Amino acid sequence: MAQTIVRVGMASCGIAAGARKVFDTIKGLQNTDHLSFELQQTGCIGMCFREPLVEVIDENGCYLYGEVDAEKSLEILNKHVRNGEPVREYIVRTDLFVTPDDPFFKGQVKIALRNCGVIDPENMNDYIQQGGYEAVKKIFSNNISREDVIQMIIDSGLRGRGGGGFSTGMKWKFAYNSQNETKYIICNADEGDPGAFMDRSLIEGDPHAIIEGMIIGAYAIGASDGVIYCRAEYPLAIKRLNIAIGQAHEKGFLGKNIFGIEGFNFDLYVKEGAGAFVCGEETALMASIEGERGMPRRRPPFPAVSGLFKKPTNINNVETWANVPWIILNGPEKYAAYGTEKSKGTKVFALAGKINHGGLVEVPMGIPLRDVIYKLGGGIQNNKKFKAVQMGGPSGGCIPEHLLDTIVDYDSVTATGAIMGSGGLVVMDENTCMVDMARFFLDFTQKESCGKCTFCRVGTKRMLEILTRITQGEGRDGDIELLEELCEQIRTSSLCGLGQTAPNPVLTTLKYFRHEYEAHIYNKKCPAHNCKKLLTYTIETDKCTGCTVCAKNCPTNAISGERKLPHLIDQSLCIKCGACFSKCKFDAISLS
Amino acid sequence: MDTINVVLNGKNVQAHKGESILELATRMGYQIPTLCHDPRLEPFSSCFVCVVHVEKMKGLQPSCSTKVTEGMVIDTEREDVKKSRKMALELLLSNHYADCIGPCKETCPANVDVQGYISLIEKGLYSEAIGLIKDRNPLPAICGRVCVRPCELACRRNLLDENNGVGIDYLKRFAADQDLKSENHYRPEVAPATGKSVAVIGGGPGGLSAAYWLAQKGHHVDIFEAMPHAGGWLRYGIPEYRLPNALIDQEISTITELGVNIFTNKKLGENISYKDIQEKYNATILTIGSQKGALVGVEGEDADGVFSGIDFLKNMESTGQKYDFKGKKIVVVGGGNTAMDCCRTSRRCGSEEVTVVYRRTEAEMPANPIEIHESKLEGVNYMFLTAPVKILKDENGKLKSMVCQKMELGEPDASGRRRPVPVEGSDFEIECDYILAAIGQKTDVNFINDINEFASNGQLKITKWGDIEANKETLETGIPGVFAAGDGVTGPATAIAAIAQAKLAVNSCEQFLNGLPIVPPAKEFFSRKENFRQQEKHEYAGKFKHQLREEMPVLDPKDRMNFTEVELGYESEAVAKNETARCLECGCGAVYTCDLKKHATDYNANQIHYAGSFKEYKVDFSHPYIEIDNNKCILCGRCIRICKEVVGAEALGFVNRGFETYVAPAMAMSLKDTKCESCGMCISTCPTGAMSENKLFKPGPVKTESFETICNYCSVGCELEVQHRGGFVYGVKGSKGQVNQGGNLCNSGRFGYQYMNDANRLLKPCVKENGSWKDIEWSEAFEIIAKQLKSSKPSESAFTVGARLSNEEQYFIQKIARAGVKTNTISSFHYMERGKGYTENSLASVPFNELKFARAIWVLNPEMIKSNGVAGFAVQSARKKADIPVTLIVEGDNHLMDHKADRIIAVKSKYTFIKAMNYYLLNSGKQNALFINGRTEGFEAFKESLLKENYTSLIAASGLAQDVIESLADEFNNIAETVLIYTEAGTSSNAAMEINNLMLLSGKLGKTGSGVIALKSKNNSQGLRDNGICPKTAPGGRKLNDAKAELEALWQINDLCVETDFSIKERLKSGAIKNLFIFGEDPVGTAVNTDEVKSLIPQNAFVVVADYFMTATAEAATLVLPMAFPFETGGSYTNTQRIIQRYEAEMKPKTGKSNIELLNGIAEKVDVKPFSTTEEIFLEFASLLPANKEVLFSFNNTDNDNQRNMFVFGADNLVLRHQKQVADLMKK
Repeated sequence: MAQTIVRVGMASCGIAAGARKVFDTIKGLQNTDHLSFELQQTGCIGMCFREPLVEVIDENGCYLYGEVDAEKSLEILNKHVRNGEPVREYIVRTDLFVTPDDPFFKGQVKIALRNCGVIDPENMNDYIQQGGYEAVKKIFSNNISREDVIQMIIDSGLRGRGGGGFSTGMKWKFAYNSQNETKYIICNADEGDPGAFMDRSLIEGDPHAIIEGMIIGAYAIGASDGVIYCRAEYPLAIKRLNIAIGQAHEKGFLGKNIFGIEGFNFDLYVKEGAGAFVCGEETALMASIEGERGMPRRRPPFPAVSGLFKKPTNINNVETWANVPWIILNGPEKYAAYGTEKSKGTKVFALAGKINHGGLVEVPMGIPLRDVIYKLGGGIQNNKKFKAVQMGGPSGGCIPEHLLDTIVDYDSVTATGAIMGSGGLVVMDENTCMVDMARFFLDFTQKESCGKCTFCRVGTKRMLEILTRITQGEGRDGDIELLEELCEQIRTSSLCGLGQTAPNPVLTTLKYFRHEYEAHIYNKKCPAHNCKKLLTYTIETDKCTGCTVCAKNCPTNAISGERKLPHLIDQSLCIKCGACFSKCKFDAISLS
Repeated sequence: MDTINVVLNGKNVQAHKGESILELATRMGYQIPTLCHDPRLEPFSSCFVCVVHVEKMKGLQPSCSTKVTEGMVIDTEREDVKKSRKMALELLLSNHYADCIGPCKETCPANVDVQGYISLIEKGLYSEAIGLIKDRNPLPAICGRVCVRPCELACRRNLLDENNGVGIDYLKRFAADQDLKSENHYRPEVAPATGKSVAVIGGGPGGLSAAYWLAQKGHHVDIFEAMPHAGGWLRYGIPEYRLPNALIDQEISTITELGVNIFTNKKLGENISYKDIQEKYNATILTIGSQKGALVGVEGEDADGVFSGIDFLKNMESTGQKYDFKGKKIVVVGGGNTAMDCCRTSRRCGSEEVTVVYRRTEAEMPANPIEIHESKLEGVNYMFLTAPVKILKDENGKLKSMVCQKMELGEPDASGRRRPVPVEGSDFEIECDYILAAIGQKTDVNFINDINEFASNGQLKITKWGDIEANKETLETGIPGVFAAGDGVTGPATAIAAIAQAKLAVNSCEQFLNGLPIVPPAKEFFSRKENFRQQEKHEYAGKFKHQLREEMPVLDPKDRMNFTEVELGYESEAVAKNETARCLECGCGAVYTCDLKKHATDYNANQIHYAGSFKEYKVDFSHPYIEIDNNKCILCGRCIRICKEVVGAEALGFVNRGFETYVAPAMAMSLKDTKCESCGMCISTCPTGAMSENKLFKPGPVKTESFETICNYCSVGCELEVQHRGGFVYGVKGSKGQVNQGGNLCNSGRFGYQYMNDANRLLKPCVKENGSWKDIEWSEAFEIIAKQLKSSKPSESAFTVGARLSNEEQYFIQKIARAGVKTNTISSFHYMERGKGYTENSLASVPFNELKFARAIWVLNPEMIKSNGVAGFAVQSARKKADIPVTLIVEGDNHLMDHKADRIIAVKSKYTFIKAMNYYLLNSGKQNALFINGRTEGFEAFKESLLKENYTSLIAASGLAQDVIESLADEFNNIAETVLIYTEAGTSSNAAMEINNLMLLSGKLGKTGSGVIALKSKNNSQGLRDNGICPKTAPGGRKLNDAKAELEALWQINDLCVETDFSIKERLKSGAIKNLFIFGEDPVGTAVNTDEVKSLIPQNAFVVVADYFMTATAEAATLVLPMAFPFETGGSYTNTQRIIQRYEAEMKPKTGKSNIELLNGIAEKVDVKPFSTTEEIFLEFASLLPANKEVLFSFNNTDNDNQRNMFVFGADNLVLRHQKQVADLMKK
């Protein structure tokens, strides 16, 4: 009988939810109780909404337990591992019966995430057992030429998963064609969109997949050195990358004459980014690696011609690299079987915002967004009404309800005004003010602008000021037009993607929710009841029982009234904190 | 060159491969604005002002970084392109918390450049100041007394010293009075006669001003004045104690002297008709003023004894009779300057009591506060918050009293002042004999019928207020060719407003006379701090000290009961200068050069279109030469990039990101504490005023004249643009020279111009008598020299010549010595006994622009970044732009240049290091035999001598291991394109000779991108050799003996002394020298060992020193001759690469003699034919230069390392002074 395996989801999301304590509890029990099972850690399983997750794999199958705390873990071990009786009520997923959370997995196709939540990311053998490094070996054992490798990637239809959507194979071909003794390969792991965690989860869950992808890329273009540029805010990812790189070195998969191939040298190191969003832009990223200020420069020359240290360089993001070994191993046709005419394969999304099943999913291209949000994502929290989904982070745009049948496909998404982006999906419900949402994202891009070019540095600042005053009820006639003017110029006359896409949240909200802007400016109302300065709390005298709870909770003593008699809010003192509204048991406080 | 076909603005044009759109368009004559681009730097593309449209490309493209490609279709002038540029400019301006001009100039109705003239007054350049003022105001002496001075109210000095603005008017008056007093008062250039004529109706301030400017343009101008004298209200409205008639006459004469005629007692419509004017003149300007006085405006004002104040003043002036107010009580109604003139005049007319009745409080009075103050001193009473209600008269209709009402202040009215509101039931009565109403004037267009009757093509119209109707923008009236200006158009205003209007009318009139469409003057963009917020004290408190105004000296009040001028004017230049120091220099120093301002004007940008939050920074003055004002910075990064890519100091960087980004010295230190080389290259590239020169004087700015000349510090030969006004040098910038191609300059070139303004400069010859100096005339000085020479033998005279002097000067001096004095004791302290080592190397020096073809650069002296800064920039540019590795050889603990090197090799002794390399190459047979056989001489002797050396000792002395030396030697030998650079300042002459040997052994001379660059200390060090400033050498570099016959023929002598085998040093020490002439060098001041050098100056000998200043050497002389500056003489220098660079005489010598004239004075005494021009000398010495035949390079043996130079800075006092100043300023 195979030994029972107990796996704890130990990506950052799991650890944040308490997985470390669960792991330690289980380990403690294992040590003291001599219970026989193999304890493993694994990466992100995807169900962030059920963290911490513990999986028990026994002879009958796999059982994934959700929302496990230390106490529950003991119960699960005792009942399930010791006695073979699964604790049914905690199980969120199993092959053996249907659970309410099953729709989250239904429809997912895991290629990039193939090993996430399955293997121990710190154990290279786990990766190898799952077919790891087989793609490289296939290339060398079959003498697949560099040109053919590139052709396979072109044929697979893989496009840059960082958001650009440029054909990965073509990009490789450009770098391959650049003549130089020295070439570089870079993995862009500087994921910085608010609400996005695809790359982090991927690295934390399956670091070797990226290394293997990069080895293949290095072979294809003829590079001898590689850099993984990872933001310093991802310490676990960096740690696991370094462990994986060390393991690969030991195995002879990195270094000189790797895989025993005479003359094939490839080495890798991790460069920690200092936390500037703009360093996700490839030219800024390279400047940062060179030790310069992370500022983008104009292209051309493209990195494929003159990149890192002025040498030909190929940059792909984490998810792109993770797809590469799978494509080589399984063949480009198999990858291209998924998806639409121009968008092949799968895409990883991070679901966030007002959605029931926040987490990490990988879906085939072509799936309607409605399915992602309602089927996989389980719909909107608290049964509220869906308003829009922000796709592509601060560089992207919002997609409103009536376009929810848009399919996941680079061109279809772009047609809405949003972008595919790196995979952040932030869902908004009826209580989200779209002006405030645009302001939030602009605040982000404005702060993250490197300050180099005029439109991005000053233009986004001016846009933010206008949006801020609109949400504060100080919008002026002409502000919308001024915003549109600024959007247009910033879009067309900024140096890099950050500036060029910064206006997108404003442009799409203006396109689909212009009435909300107008309500703020002309009626001084926030239709979503979100913008504090535009809210008025009033007490409905017929509902007020004079219980005094509101008055007691008011931080500015704006509420007065005799006990048992209706109370009154002094609007000049009210700071619109909403304390009264949330404390009132009689729904006597209304909001307008 | 590969060409590319592109379509540019609809035209097919050919572009060069690799060219940017910006370069192409500029070449084709299209103006594309840019802020972040400098051709010296790699494109950066941050400002987005240079965008263009390119077909098939997304968005707009920054033209600076977009390279042309075949078939490209470019449009640089589309509307969307212009819109985008304008928006970029407006966004930049929305965060540009800075002033282009000061509030003084901005507030002045005539926009007189106050800050500019204050700067000129500071330097004592009064006539220049008056010239500047007269561009906008031709009546400075008058306005200096009576102007209402909105400038002083706006002056920000008020913030700092509590309502004590700069005494602008006092300064103006001082300058104007000085100018009028001077022999050559300012007189503008008058253009040649145009044959056009203009009639000016009215001789007040407006009419006089219009006439001044029109006459300057070459037009014939006649003024028709209704009154008996010109001056208008200046004469008839302002009492003499404020503005004496004599002064008015004097200032008017500065206008009539330009050919303007004034016809008095000519009133249009009465004594002269428009009929005649129309016939005789091409255009007319109506400057008729506002002549009618208003009365009190209450019941009973027809009483006998009630006058309008201006009629009161005018009557006295036109009759010449003073009113007799003895024993009378006078009431003056009103609070303006006319009220002040009335009350103070009334006192002077003997009144018993004068009361000013004003309906608001003193704070609201429009009159000049000084006037109020003085009137009180003179005994005038005030009744504030009082308004007349009724005037009571007796039965004869004679004034009895005035009934008044008390007032209180209510809400502010349209003027911003609080409105007076009557207090009910507060009426009271004031008894008085006269009431003078000073509450306003009216225009009287009494010639309207005349003009409209005769005007052939239009009608003059009157506004509802009774003024002349004229287009506000152009001052055209309804009659073409008739313009109107001043009070007659605006209603009663000020003199300066009338002058401003006259300027506008003249502008339109000029267009009319030239048949051009009449348009208002182009609107200039001005950034204003007030567009962001009100100014507050704290902004200025740190930078400037508290300093109260130099007040105007006045007559004692007890001496004032007459019409003598009360204000006396500043008593001295020192007082005026002291007052100029109070100017806060609000206006930007870059106002005339700022690209941001230029583009903002061109694109009609609006600073507040995108107004929002803005960044405010403290200005960084901590560096003595470079001022950083981040408020003006547009973050183009040019300063950062030039400091990195060209200078290599990397002293500046960006801090923070996004909107918070700013430029600051590395690690937030003071620039002083970084690797900053104080070269000012950042200033040279800054497109705004963010990086500017921290000047040691009031910087102005003023518009300057400029000339180009050659830098006389080091031997690189940079071309300078010297900017000057009135003989004062305001600054220097690099002109795009042959050597400093992008206009690069080092600290000495850019900031070393202080000597040009030094007041301590020697201007007259002086002789030492009984230990003290006495000025003498030039002729006397020459006599003394002649006498001295006659009384001694030729061999008792010695001449030394500085390396700073021009070829012409050097040549001429040696000719005087050899052909005239007949001595061959001629040398230079600069190269005393060591010249050959250095000068031999420059025979085949690598041009700086060939550094980019090298594959390796070796620098032997980190000192080069100080002593020859621009050459250092050339090395750094090659390193950064062409990726050429720089190897630095350092001796000892010198880290000056570590940051600009790719490899640093520390040696104990450069001399032995090079010598060891030579030994190794020679010993292992690796020398370049082909080169040695064909191009050199002396190889065998050199080989024999060198191989006798002990290799092991050489290695030990060099401080490197044998294998290191050998691999370096191999590397140097094998990489053909290697350039080796050393400086004279840090290299002994024997080391220089070994370097020469190394170059010959490795065969590196005379090839592109390969060879040696010897950086000499002084601008004309090379000239010393070429002009024969050495006993052994004749002009042209030949041996003197070889050239004897030729020289004797040329100089028409037959006794050329060819005694060459002696040591000058020994000869000086020996006491054989009785006469020592030292031209342009300061051996004592620059001596490494002062005592040693002093011993070389013979005791009790006759020592003549010629220089600019009283140097330490001059102090030891008997006779001192003041030398003219290079740009006062003209000539040529030979730079270290043997390029002969000529420069012109641009100014008159302040010493009275150019240096050629000075030398002629001596030459004549020793029977040497004088030269008439520098050109003549140039041709003579050029005839002696060797023909362009191939010379053989010589190997030279050296036995050991000799001492470094005996003198620092090439024995030059200028460098010494400048380096001392730099050191002093850096210490502060």
